[in-house]
Amino acid sequence: MSLAIKAEGIFKTFRSGWLGKKQKLVLKGIDLQIEEGEIFGILGPNGAGKTTLLSILSTLLFPDRGKIQILGMDGLREGHRVRTKVNISSGNANFLWSLTVKENLHFYGMLYGLNGNQRAEKIKALIKLFNLEEHQDVSFDRLSTGMKQRLSLAKSLINDPAVLFLDEPTVGLDPSVSITIREQIRLIQKERKMTVLLTTHNMKEAEYLCNRIAFLKDGEILTTGTTETLKRMTRMGEVVKIEFKGTISEDELLRAEGVINYGISGNLCEIIVDDLERRLGNVVVLLSQGGAQIKKVTLGQTDLEDVFIEFAKDTDSGMGLCD
Amino acid sequence: MSSLNLPRILIQVWAFVIKNWIITKRNVFSLFEILFWPVVGFFSVGLLTSFLGLNADMSGFILIGVISISVIQVCQIDVAYVLLYDLWSKSLKHTFIAPVHPFQLISGSWLIGVIRSFVVFLLLSLLSALAFDFNFLKPGLGPLLLFLLGLFLLSVLIGIGVCILVLLFGYKAEVAAWSITSLMALICGIYYPISILPSPLHEIARAIPLTYFLEYFRSFYGFKNGGNLLAWGFGEIGVYLAIEAVLFKIVLYRARRTGALIKLSE
Repeated sequence: MSLAIKAEGIFKTFRSGWLGKKQKLVLKGIDLQIEEGEIFGILGPNGAGKTTLLSILSTLLFPDRGKIQILGMDGLREGHRVRTKVNISSGNANFLWSLTVKENLHFYGMLYGLNGNQRAEKIKALIKLFNLEEHQDVSFDRLSTGMKQRLSLAKSLINDPAVLFLDEPTVGLDPSVSITIREQIRLIQKERKMTVLLTTHNMKEAEYLCNRIAFLKDGEILTTGTTETLKRMTRMGEVVKIEFKGTISEDELLRAEGVINYGISGNLCEIIVDDLERRLGNVVVLLSQGGAQIKKVTLGQTDLEDVFIEFAKDTDSGMGLCD
Repeated sequence: MSSLNLPRILIQVWAFVIKNWIITKRNVFSLFEILFWPVVGFFSVGLLTSFLGLNADMSGFILIGVISISVIQVCQIDVAYVLLYDLWSKSLKHTFIAPVHPFQLISGSWLIGVIRSFVVFLLLSLLSALAFDFNFLKPGLGPLLLFLLGLFLLSVLIGIGVCILVLLFGYKAEVAAWSITSLMALICGIYYPISILPSPLHEIARAIPLTYFLEYFRSFYGFKNGGNLLAWGFGEIGVYLAIEAVLFKIVLYRARRTGALIKLSE
């Protein structure tokens, strides 16, 4: 599988104030490799540098230093060529206010050089795909936030991009609209096999959509990997809650294979294991043999948010984790 | 290096014509730009010349100036609008993530500006014939077309200047779209010959192509001036356009470096 996006040593500083004397280092040497056809998520809190990184990769912003390759093209020297193959959709989308949905799509379609018939067919299909039929003649300033976001996604597909950049695509949307948008993103990516680079601070969104995730904090990538890999790396494991009667032998629990941690409170025992599927049977047998009567077993999973907090904590204390 | 694809380039240029056209036709203020202000300005000055009892040549001198500045104002604002509309809609980044060259932005918006300002010219020249008995066609079609070409090219020069300022200073620069033309009216001899200007302004007027185009066209109405006026006018435009092309590239590079394209889209 070849690389769709390759970034090496990306640094970016923003200057402000009189003669740009105030400086803020926003990206601190980002390295990134994203394969073709992947949905890659950049996760991080506000101010982590997600949008800056995405803007650099989409050629809207130049880095101070570093190398970028998009589909084998030099992102800095061949920006114009790169722009024919990529597109962007942002949360809080803004387009020309007095143009209708259809007119905006026609305008951007023309910017990509699509001729009349080709453009009309594509716009018709996109309007249908994003359920914009009823709103196609409504001007942008009269659309709801959800509709604006759908238009933004439709516009981002107007040139059939090989690489699609999505900057917080569901920010500010209500939960039901967010779910629809996420499903549409997933469906489109599956159908078109495009590479998607997505920034979000919504852990559930990243978990739902992304093949791989990078945690970005204070301009640095803390780690990169699949959701499962990241969970394993933090050794946060998965949680099993057991309601019991009788006693539990803590010594045996500690010796049990795969048990990372445990806590007992009254008749409730919470055990963290590295792999729930493999360890659950052993744990239950062990507790039963030790004299406990199992009443109820509840399975839980570690949230990606917990994983991120764990990574951030380790970085703050100087124990950076790596892939 | 990508191969030259002419139909694609023309579609991209046409995109900016369509954009400005749609926004213009939906906006009642654009009607004011074409009809109200030019006509009000024209009649105000025209009636003043009647009141002052100026002879036909003197009235013609001033009417040429008034019509010229209206044509320039309408044409240059369309060029400036190409970025101003995006600035006001906060959609600048979507234009610049598309594979378009600055010359496509400018030429598309200039084309609609030429059309709109030509309508203004036709209207005002018709009114000048009807109300003040002034014949704009007296110099002949050739000189008139050369004169208009000069005005249109000067307009693109001003419009690009506004775009450069917008990319440099953002919202703070939008006032330039309305003030540069007024400044020109003061310096380039719209209502009076530049010979009455004090020394530094006189030299500045000579550095602005409009001065030469006005002197060229007025020469057909008895206000003779020496030298090859058209060569100077078009020569200066050529030099300034070349400088602006380089400057536009630099400020666009700077906007991509400082993040201005993103900040102006938020």
